[in-house]
Amino acid sequence: MSETKPSPPAGPGAPMPAPPGPPAKPDHVRATIDGKPVEVPKGTTVIQAAAQIGIEIPRFCYHEDLPVDGNCRMCLVEIEKMPKLQIACNTQVTEGMVVQTESAKAKQAHRTTLEFLLVNHPIDCPVCDQAGECYLQDQYMTVGLHDSKVEPEEKVQKRKVVDLGPIMLDAERCVLCSRCLRFESHVTGTNSFEFRNRGDHTQIATFEDRPITHNYAWNLADVCPVGALLSHDFRFKMRVWFLESSDSVCPGCSTGCNIHVDSRDQEVHRLRPRRNVEVNKSWMCDIGRVEYKEIALETRIGAARVRRASSWEETSVATALDLVAEKILAAPRGSAFLATPQATNEDVFLFKRLSERAGGLLDFRVGNPQERTQVREDNVLLRADRNPNTTGCLDQGVGVSGVDAILKACAAGTVKVLVLQGADLLKDAGVAAAVAKVPFVAVMASHEHAELASAHCVLPAAVWAEVDGTFTNYQRRVQRIKRAVAPPGAAVPRWELAAGLLQRLGESLSLSSAREVFALIAKDVKVYAGLDHRLVGATGRAVGGPTPASQEARA
Amino acid sequence: MAAGVITVNRDTKPGLWPVMLGMGLVFSNMIKTMFGKELATVQFPEVKRPTSSRYRGIHVLTQREDGTPKCVACYMCATVCPAECIFIEAGERPEKDIEKYPTRFEIDLLRCVYCGFCVDACPEEAIIMSRENDLVGTSRAELIIDRDRLMDRGKLMEYGGGYRPSDHDVRRPVRIAALERLKKEHGIVPGMPEPRSPGGRPASR
Repeated sequence: MSETKPSPPAGPGAPMPAPPGPPAKPDHVRATIDGKPVEVPKGTTVIQAAAQIGIEIPRFCYHEDLPVDGNCRMCLVEIEKMPKLQIACNTQVTEGMVVQTESAKAKQAHRTTLEFLLVNHPIDCPVCDQAGECYLQDQYMTVGLHDSKVEPEEKVQKRKVVDLGPIMLDAERCVLCSRCLRFESHVTGTNSFEFRNRGDHTQIATFEDRPITHNYAWNLADVCPVGALLSHDFRFKMRVWFLESSDSVCPGCSTGCNIHVDSRDQEVHRLRPRRNVEVNKSWMCDIGRVEYKEIALETRIGAARVRRASSWEETSVATALDLVAEKILAAPRGSAFLATPQATNEDVFLFKRLSERAGGLLDFRVGNPQERTQVREDNVLLRADRNPNTTGCLDQGVGVSGVDAILKACAAGTVKVLVLQGADLLKDAGVAAAVAKVPFVAVMASHEHAELASAHCVLPAAVWAEVDGTFTNYQRRVQRIKRAVAPPGAAVPRWELAAGLLQRLGESLSLSSAREVFALIAKDVKVYAGLDHRLVGATGRAVGGPTPASQEARA
Repeated sequence: MAAGVITVNRDTKPGLWPVMLGMGLVFSNMIKTMFGKELATVQFPEVKRPTSSRYRGIHVLTQREDGTPKCVACYMCATVCPAECIFIEAGERPEKDIEKYPTRFEIDLLRCVYCGFCVDACPEEAIIMSRENDLVGTSRAELIIDRDRLMDRGKLMEYGGGYRPSDHDVRRPVRIAALERLKKEHGIVPGMPEPRSPGGRPASR
């Protein structure tokens, strides 16, 4: 037993194990959870301390990014010298605390609590989309396995299949944890949900069944630990255990929310937020969440094509690249390059090198990107700049010649070859008029657009979910995106197209992965010096200090 | 000497007797086949060999009284299927008591290994097996049978019902195994008093 501690009278039980190791750091306390020592800052709760050493205490109402409520009573743990079990989510760790999360007493409490929660549960797991990622199911299989004492006919009937716009409500499945209420009050501030009725007739509802209209509705389906709130978009689409998850970053705006891309058989079925305290906590917006629908559209371009007289001719990517390289070599001074902030850092880097090799003009988009990147569209996550990699483009110095100068040169007829990294610029009417004057326009495009008619060569490009790479968000945080599905047909990442052109212009490159391209970036771009894909890791890495306007406080 | 090995005396001279013995066997079988009652050969397809009531033949999707499929599109059968031959697409029923039903339910009978796991996994007794086993078609596509053909009981049940969960409660062994695991790992059986240590404190783990 520790010398420094006042010795308590020996209890009837086992002697209290002293927290081993050196004394706690200032403002830290040491405790023992399930026999494992842990040292945490003062004010840390037991459930957080347990999570630090890999012990998951069962919970329903506790959520890392929501205020503690302590209503579900599922996280009861046994703490020595406390007469009753305590809830781990709202009990702060104190010096010398000894916690048992799996003692017989604690387990009995978990089982009893679970049995209470399941009293009026409809057990409709076969038709419930939450099945497979449901806390109730998981807890029943690990600590429950009891026979219900309530006949199905005796259960309190509540409202089912209530359509709340993007969300479906099933009040029977609800465990009344109030996570959705707290999300609505603390994250979006909309306060849509409220408890209605009393006793075992309590249920959540919105006023007059009004639909959820804010941009963060599908987070409600994520915070709901059971199947009471489910996404309308994902309803009955797929059972979750079929899905494979891969880590990525949302391409929807310059915030760069960390996400899981859930796919099956090379088809993406949904995006889910991935927790990153520095960026998006556990949330993402609905605008970002529907980005997956772009991936498998019928209009995806799977083959290269070249304009012959009045019609298109499908060719191999290599043939198309030969043609583009030939045109650039014929008029190197008359070439212009427009990058896109939708592309990854790797794409942008090789595209820039291509423009330098050719000696042509280079820029990346219209307007003042620096300002837009920082502007918030709401007080939660969404930003006005809907491009994931504007900061990356700026860091790599892609804004060289000015888009207006390039368009003027196009209109004046001095540009003979224009290479576009994305089709997005063509959508602008002014740009389209200027581009029409250029004798040869090559576009790296992922989707069919009417605007592609003004191009002379279309190169099939993979989209964000089909490539490896990095995006730099508005905070200048470099984050990894990973390939979740295969691109359609002959489509390849944009950096491969740029690398192909560079080789044809006589540069000797041997690049086989985005990781190798990033190694070149780290050598060339000062703020990314010393970084590589591994260092960027799962939750990204902030580099080079804050960007000019990121001092703005975030929610 | 190992079982099943016989020793033949090669010294005896071959004569007419072994030949007659052999021919006797041939003719007796011929007469049995021509006039006997218990024949090995059946006149398929006019006559069919009887099969067990638990025979695992082509699947049947059962119906509710109103003629809609009992299936709630929970994908349990597709999940458990080792041959991955079941394709389901779920849709929303207008009735709120059962929200989900299969808009498409297809089984590739050429991929199916007729293991009956789908029948075991089904929580609704919505998929059972018939005793039909003559699978004939002119193309592979024809033998991927859809929801409506699976529900066409009249034809499929011609041979009688096959494997179905009422034969034995398939969920019971699973549950017993789960309870035994709980007891082994945590020393707990729900509904039973906790074992206590002599000190009066609950025995921890």
